[in-house]
Amino acid sequence: MMLEARICHSLRGFTLDVKLESHGPVLGVFGPSGCGKTTLLHCIAGLIKPREARIDVRTRTVCNRPGGTWVAPERRKCALVTQEPLLFPHISVRGNLAYAPGARDELESDGGWKIVEVLRLKPLLERKPGGLSGGEKQRVALGRALLSKPELLLLDEPTSSLDAELARDVLSLLLRVKHDLKVPMVFVTHKAPELLALADDCAVLEQGQVVAHGAPVEVLRKPRAIGVANLVGVDNLLRLRVVRHDEPGGVTVLDLGGVELAAPLCDIEPTRHASIGIYADEIMLCLEKPAGLSARNALACTVTQVDEVGSEVLVRVRAGTNELLARITPAAAAELGLAKDARAVAVIKTSACHLLG
Amino acid sequence: MLTDAEIEVLTLSAQVAALAVAVSIVPGVLFGWLLARWKSPLRVPLQGALMLPLVLPPVVTGYLLLAAFGRRGPLGEAWNAVTGGHISYTTGACVIAAAVVGFPLMVEGIRLSMTAVDGRLEQVSRSLGRGRAATFVRVTLPLSLPGIVSGAVLSFARALGEFGATIVLAGNIEGETRTIPVAVYTLMNVPGTDAAVWRLVGISVVLSMLALLGAIWLGARSAKRLHP
Repeated sequence: MMLEARICHSLRGFTLDVKLESHGPVLGVFGPSGCGKTTLLHCIAGLIKPREARIDVRTRTVCNRPGGTWVAPERRKCALVTQEPLLFPHISVRGNLAYAPGARDELESDGGWKIVEVLRLKPLLERKPGGLSGGEKQRVALGRALLSKPELLLLDEPTSSLDAELARDVLSLLLRVKHDLKVPMVFVTHKAPELLALADDCAVLEQGQVVAHGAPVEVLRKPRAIGVANLVGVDNLLRLRVVRHDEPGGVTVLDLGGVELAAPLCDIEPTRHASIGIYADEIMLCLEKPAGLSARNALACTVTQVDEVGSEVLVRVRAGTNELLARITPAAAAELGLAKDARAVAVIKTSACHLLG
Repeated sequence: MLTDAEIEVLTLSAQVAALAVAVSIVPGVLFGWLLARWKSPLRVPLQGALMLPLVLPPVVTGYLLLAAFGRRGPLGEAWNAVTGGHISYTTGACVIAAAVVGFPLMVEGIRLSMTAVDGRLEQVSRSLGRGRAATFVRVTLPLSLPGIVSGAVLSFARALGEFGATIVLAGNIEGETRTIPVAVYTLMNVPGTDAAVWRLVGISVVLSMLALLGAIWLGARSAKRLHP
C-alpha cells in the first residue's frame, strides 16, 4: 500500500472527512478549488495536525491521532511541491537543490545527476531563483523535492500557475519522474487531462469528502458529482424532475419538459429533481426515429442552432423545454442537412445520462 | 580637531550603544520571531509589554530600572551577591538603559521582516526534512536579515541619544557614564560654554545621521541581495 489515510479535521467551518487507500504509484486527487485537496496534502505532510487521523505512508504509520503516533513533518519523507514553486530566494539553484539533508551528496551521485538531466537543470545551477522563468522555477522545485529522496512526492497543482505550454512540459517531466525515477506521488489537480495522463488511481474530493474513487478513466467518464462534471467539461448539465422509477426496466424516467428521458435507475424520489450530465458526443442525431433501437431515448427535437467549430459541428436542439448540445462531424452535418428549425431525433443511451446527484 | 574630552565622550557613547545592541540582538530576534509566528492570545499583551519603553517617559523607564537594578533592587542585590559589585552608576547601567530603551525599535524591525517571510517557505523546508531549528537558521533568519540589520542600527541610533533613563540609572560620571546627551546637558548648566555645547550638538547630529543612513543603506543592500 502506498497510502492509507483516514482523516477527520475541521478548520474554520470547513471539515475534511476522508478515507483513502491507494496502491499508487500515482494517486490523483481531483476536485474543484476549496474542496480540501491542499488540506489533505498538508495532513499527509504533517503540516497540519488533524483532530482525528490515521495516516500510513508506505510501510510506516506517520500519524495516529488522538493519542498515538505523531511523526514530525521533517521525518516523514513526504516532499511537497506546491502550485507556486516557493524556491528559497536567498540561495542559488544549486543551494536549493542541495537543501534537504544529504541532498548535497545526492546531487553529486549518479542518481542525482539523472534528476538534474531529466529536469534540464544543469544550465540553471549557478543562477539565483529570482531570475528564472515560471517553468524553470517549477523544474527546480521538483528537482529539490526529488533530491530529498522522498518516500512520497506530494504535488499540489504543480502546473496551475504555468501557461498551457509550460504546463504540458512539466507534465511530461512528471511522467518521466514516474516512469524513469519511479517515485510514488500524490498528485492534486483540477485538470482532467493531467489526471488521465499521470494517475493510476483517482479520488474525487468535494466539500471535504471523497465522492468517487477508482481508475481515472472510470471516475471521469461517470462523473458522479456536479463539481467534477463542471471540471471535466460535461456539455449538457440538466436538472430534471423524476417522473417514476421502472425497476424491472432498470431506468428512472425524468421529465425533460413534456418529453421523457430514461436515465439509469436511481433512488431519488419521484417529483424531486435529479442532476444529469450528458457529453455532447454521446448524443446521436437522426432525421427520423430509427426502428429496433436499443437506446431508450429517441427524442423528437428541433434544431435551434448549428455552429461549425474547427473540425466539428456543434448542434443545439430543443427537446421538450430543454436544450441539448450534440457534437457531430461536418460530414454528418452535411449529409443530414441540419439547419436551424429542421426536425430531428436525438438518440441517447440510458447509460450516457450520468447521474450527478 | 576634537578635544580629548570630546573624544572620550564620543568613544564612551559609541561603546555603550554597540554593547546595548550586542546584548539585545539575540533576545530581539527571539521576541521578533515570537511576535511574528506565535499564534496565541498572549501575543498581544506581550507585544504591548515589549513596546512599552517606546512610549513611557524615559525617566519613568529609568526609575523602574533603578528599582530593579539599584543597590536595593532585587536584581541589583543578586548581582552584588554574586560579584560583590554594583550595577547602578556604572557604564554597565548605561548599557542596560540604552538596551531597554532601544529594544522596541529592534524587536519591531525584526517582527515586521519576519512577518514578511512567506510561512509556506518554512513549510516546504520542513517537508524537505529540515526541522524547526534548521528551518529557522536556513530560511527565516537569512530572509529577515534586512529587518534585523535595520532594527539593530535603529536601536543603536536610539541608544546614542538615550538620556532620561541613563541619568536616573547611571548618573553623570565623567569617563564612565557621561555619554553625549549627558555631556550636553552638563555643559548647558555651566555658563559660558555655548561653543562647546554647539560642538557636541554637531557631533550628535552627525553621528545620529550617519547611523540612520547606515540603517537605510544596509537594509537596502541586504534586501537587494535577497531579491536581485
